[in-house]
Amino acid sequence: MPQLKFKLLSLTLFLSVFSFSQSSDVYNALVVPVELKEKANAVVRYQKKTVEILGLDKIKVTNKRVTTVLNKSGKKHVNAYAYYDGTRDIQAMEAHIYDAFGKEIKKYKKRDFVDASAVSDFSIYEDDRVKYLDYIPLNYPYTVEYTSEIVYTSTAFFPSWYPIDGYYLGVQHSDYEIINTAGIALKSKKENFENYNIKEISEHHFLAENINGIKYEAYTPDFQNMIPRFKVALRHFEMVGVKGSNENWSDFGQWMYDKLLTGTDYIPDETKNHVKKITEGVDDKIERAKIIYQYMQNKTRYISIQVGIGGWKPMFANDVDKLGYADCKGLTNYTKALLEAVDVPSYYTVVYGGRSLRDIDSEFSSVEGNHVILCVPNEDENIFLECTSQSNPFGFTAGFTDDRDVLLIKPEGGEIVHTKIYDAEDSVQNTTAQVVLDANGSFTADVTIETTGFQYNLHTGIETQSERDQHLHYKDYWDNINNLTIGQIAIENDKDNVIYTENVKIESENYASKSGTRLIFQPNLFNKVTDIPPRYTERKLEFKIDRAFKDTDEFIIQLPEGLTVEAMTDAKEITTKFGSYNFKIEALEGNKLKYTRTYILLKGNYPKEDYKAFRAFRKQIVKHDKSKVVLIQS
Amino acid sequence: MKHLFILLAFALISNSSIAQNFNFGKVSKSELEEKYHPKDSSTSAAILYRNERINFIYSNSDGFVQEREIHERIKIYNKEGFDWATKKVYLYNGNNRESLKGLKGTSYNLVDGKIEKEKLKSDGKFEEAYNEYTNISSFTLPKVKEGTVIEYKYVITSARYSIDDIIFQFSIPINNLDIKIATPEYYLYNKQYNFQAIYLPKIEESSRNTTVPFNYKINTISINEVDVPALREEAYSGNYNNYRSKMAMELTGYLNADKIIEKTFSSSWEEVSKTIYESENFGGQLSSFNIYKDDVAAVLAGVSDDFEKAFLIQNLVKSKVKWNGGYGKYANNGVRSAYKNGEGNVGDINLMIVSMLRSQGVNANPVVLSTRSNGIPLFPSREGFNYVICSVESDGKMLLIDGTEQYSTNNILPQRVLNWQGRVITDKNASSWIDLRANTISTESTMLNVSIDEDFMATGKVSQQLTNYSAYFCRNKYASMVKEDQIKSLEKNKGAIEISTLTIDNLKDATQPIKVSYEYELSDGIDEVGGKVYLSPLLFFALKENPFKLEERQYPIDFVVPYTDKYLVNIKIPDGYVVESLPQSEMLEFKDANVKYTYLLKLNGSYLQLKGQMEIINPLILPADYKDFKEFYSKIVEKQTEQIVLTKA
Repeated sequence: MPQLKFKLLSLTLFLSVFSFSQSSDVYNALVVPVELKEKANAVVRYQKKTVEILGLDKIKVTNKRVTTVLNKSGKKHVNAYAYYDGTRDIQAMEAHIYDAFGKEIKKYKKRDFVDASAVSDFSIYEDDRVKYLDYIPLNYPYTVEYTSEIVYTSTAFFPSWYPIDGYYLGVQHSDYEIINTAGIALKSKKENFENYNIKEISEHHFLAENINGIKYEAYTPDFQNMIPRFKVALRHFEMVGVKGSNENWSDFGQWMYDKLLTGTDYIPDETKNHVKKITEGVDDKIERAKIIYQYMQNKTRYISIQVGIGGWKPMFANDVDKLGYADCKGLTNYTKALLEAVDVPSYYTVVYGGRSLRDIDSEFSSVEGNHVILCVPNEDENIFLECTSQSNPFGFTAGFTDDRDVLLIKPEGGEIVHTKIYDAEDSVQNTTAQVVLDANGSFTADVTIETTGFQYNLHTGIETQSERDQHLHYKDYWDNINNLTIGQIAIENDKDNVIYTENVKIESENYASKSGTRLIFQPNLFNKVTDIPPRYTERKLEFKIDRAFKDTDEFIIQLPEGLTVEAMTDAKEITTKFGSYNFKIEALEGNKLKYTRTYILLKGNYPKEDYKAFRAFRKQIVKHDKSKVVLIQS
Repeated sequence: MKHLFILLAFALISNSSIAQNFNFGKVSKSELEEKYHPKDSSTSAAILYRNERINFIYSNSDGFVQEREIHERIKIYNKEGFDWATKKVYLYNGNNRESLKGLKGTSYNLVDGKIEKEKLKSDGKFEEAYNEYTNISSFTLPKVKEGTVIEYKYVITSARYSIDDIIFQFSIPINNLDIKIATPEYYLYNKQYNFQAIYLPKIEESSRNTTVPFNYKINTISINEVDVPALREEAYSGNYNNYRSKMAMELTGYLNADKIIEKTFSSSWEEVSKTIYESENFGGQLSSFNIYKDDVAAVLAGVSDDFEKAFLIQNLVKSKVKWNGGYGKYANNGVRSAYKNGEGNVGDINLMIVSMLRSQGVNANPVVLSTRSNGIPLFPSREGFNYVICSVESDGKMLLIDGTEQYSTNNILPQRVLNWQGRVITDKNASSWIDLRANTISTESTMLNVSIDEDFMATGKVSQQLTNYSAYFCRNKYASMVKEDQIKSLEKNKGAIEISTLTIDNLKDATQPIKVSYEYELSDGIDEVGGKVYLSPLLFFALKENPFKLEERQYPIDFVVPYTDKYLVNIKIPDGYVVESLPQSEMLEFKDANVKYTYLLKLNGSYLQLKGQMEIINPLILPADYKDFKEFYSKIVEKQTEQIVLTKA
């Protein structure tokens, strides 16, 4: 038996060399070229996606995708699912499963797909639904052929082409074609084609072939920004029956203003009068905006509800006024209406919110963004308000909407601007401490941490936790200290100046270790870098540091009586293009030591060749943060 | 001064003793004025009142209909508590579907000293079909701010007689809990508490007769409690939901119209076992099936040992049928269909193994059990069991197997199964208990060789051997990784290390211990300060912190299985250096030697040799012993960071 199998196998291998386009081969997992399988959990064997433009309000997408799944993690690349709602109709869908040899083992008709609400955990309500293939693989590899036909009647969202939809995915053959039967004017943009094997068959017809899997590496820029994609948008479109034009951001923004925002900003006179009253006599418009922002924060809360024109129309401002809750769009629009009542102009702003920095594409207007904030124009620098937060300081964006291109929706049209960049001097953490060490190696300390900017964002929130959780937090924060006991905690959150100050009294038993007559300890007690970026034998991707910061530390350590310094690590200063680091230990009068340290990391984009040097920089820091002081009985 | 204090205390008492009114809408000013919870000042919200009423209403058309009414009044102290103003109710949508009725809600705010009310209207209510079996009714209250009190009420009705679990405890405190469960005498229920819970309410039972619409008795369970503490998570205790206070109501039988028992289910463990066995989806799956006959015969050709048969059959099933992630003591698809389609739940897979082994004359039996996340059933109950595995007995020895996980093997079971005891059901009239906790020690032995070069770089070789569960956990983590990722994972948290020439033997062969070996270069393990060399002998294997940070615990620490970690470290003293001082050797014991730690360091010519060992015999450390254990563990961490000092000869 096994012999026969082997013969069959070698025969198919032989055939495959000559006849790839004979598509029956694409079901056989054993003939996937070795290069495509390396660094891949799945391989797209064959994909053909055809987009037919049938009218301003009708696009038909026909998709056939054959994916070989090599292991458990590759399952998600099968992509056998489709969302649907009032504007997206699944006309056909089907799937076939093949074993490793390409023999069909299972078939799914449309009714065999699982139908479920597409509601996400954080949302109370969303009106779209999803149908997905629920197949439990028996063995790997296996192959899935998925075909679907979907008609879209909202043409604002045009199905773009991403031949690579994630890390660890090989692509053997992926074809994308637009058939513009209706002859509707469209625009398009190619991104990152140059680094990948993509053939341009005609203006709107592409073929990607034999693209190897991409392995994830730490500090990699956004995946979206590295992979090839073909963006398309209709110059004239419809969204849930509302017509619009999209030549550039100006007119697309204009459409959003006219069709999505206009008429949603009415608020009752009672509220208008109230906000006028609380800002009475305040001449400066920014000061008035501050009062309004705080008023809104105290009055509302965030709830995710995705309904209304594809989830793009905000809730009416007077409903938000009445109910006291809304999603980002509703809360932003409401704040805008409140500001208007006190003569402060502001703009509804579309953004990609998130820790990673993602721009709205300034060169290509289309439906973009996943979040909405509010822009208050100001002479020096635009101010951006996060309206979903009940605790953010006024104008604070670090960590979620900072340093990226965003779209302002102005009455006169859309406009792309850039949000605030927090540089090293804006994101400071200053740690100071008074430490008293005793002859057993135990210490008591009074530590103060002051943070601003992005570092403020990382620390804030501790003040609202319970005492038990605060203690746990500091024990984790200083996990380098064994036997830590937390005493009094005092936290001040100065929202006006955006400075977060934590003062913590702590104690630790046997911090310094004894060795004979010596006491050995690390003087960097409170701000150690312990984490070295992962090592890659050969890094493949460029890397990026999103945000700059600066840490300064000064610890005064009172040494125990009868013990003097026998030896300590020499001071060190390191300067690289990634940032700088220095520390020193000095003896002060009265048997005291002063430990000072500064670490600055800069924002930047670097070629992959620089990664080794970056890692070496961090390695040095980890090493020097473990510097030692040796005390001996005098 | 003393006087004033008494007066103040008196004032406080009298204030809180004003009778509270929990009728819907009767929210008081003092409830709105309260800035923080008087007994749990850190909580972000509190349930001021929770009323749950379960009744069975008879109608000629529908028979008994279950009505479950929930009325809750919740105080929101700060922004972290806002989530309590949104509620999602999952409703069963299959046969005897549940529906939610009569939803009303109100938010109360204190504005300029006056109570303002805002009603929940249709714009705050949402309904959706979640999937084939579930609908979601959700709602969110309007005008919620810091200090708001919200109140809502709804009724869930269904024609089901099964009663959902009664929850006594949430992640916020409950000030007043008022529960009444009234069931007609026709339905017999068995109450089952979660006895792992720290908090248990007092339960009163009574009964009364009704004449409407006919004569029957109504049995009532009432709970009236004040100040139910919040349930909070603790690290290393497994699933903290296991400690939630709750009660299950299991139907044990029902009466016919003449009030004579028509059918009974569980009243003793024997009865429970019998009922389970008699189910077509359990006992009915244990006879032999033609569909696998040839495959089984082929696999077992020439094999006579029962345990070997068990091993081979479990591998056959693993290769033919994949676990779909579903639990259950009953077969979902049935053995035949699961084998045909290559997919099934726990019941399908493990009953299939029993059935195959029985078909070959092996003494194999199903063992029903409760998984770790399902807690421990105290009273006889079918619902207490949610899983089944297979036992094999031969020559007075017992073997357990579970075919749902790739790397589980004879007596090495998935972690979820290692809970308390299981019930071996031999047939409908014979069943008995069996201990499920791991009783063999799992070991990890490590040999570490260290040489130190002129730049104070440590280099050398590591060899490790892992057995039983140590190997099982390692397989689950490393078996599916490519070598590069294995190296990356091993390098994690070991400082400035580079690992090379890694080999891991027997990673996929669950019958053998795993053998790991690699070479390393460590650039930050050894310090040279003022001409002396400092290092801790365990280098990158040293514990970096004590993970037990809480001062007190409510729940036990669970190390899951008994285990031993052994280290043998050999350090070559670099040329030109001698030992100046060494950490002292030590042996530490915790609680009647349940946990032992050994640290033996000695100089042997030009080598330093460390023998280290950590041994845990009973993996459960009880809360009462926590403080001592925390201290004990701290000493180990301390010991491991102590430094060897070398000086120039």
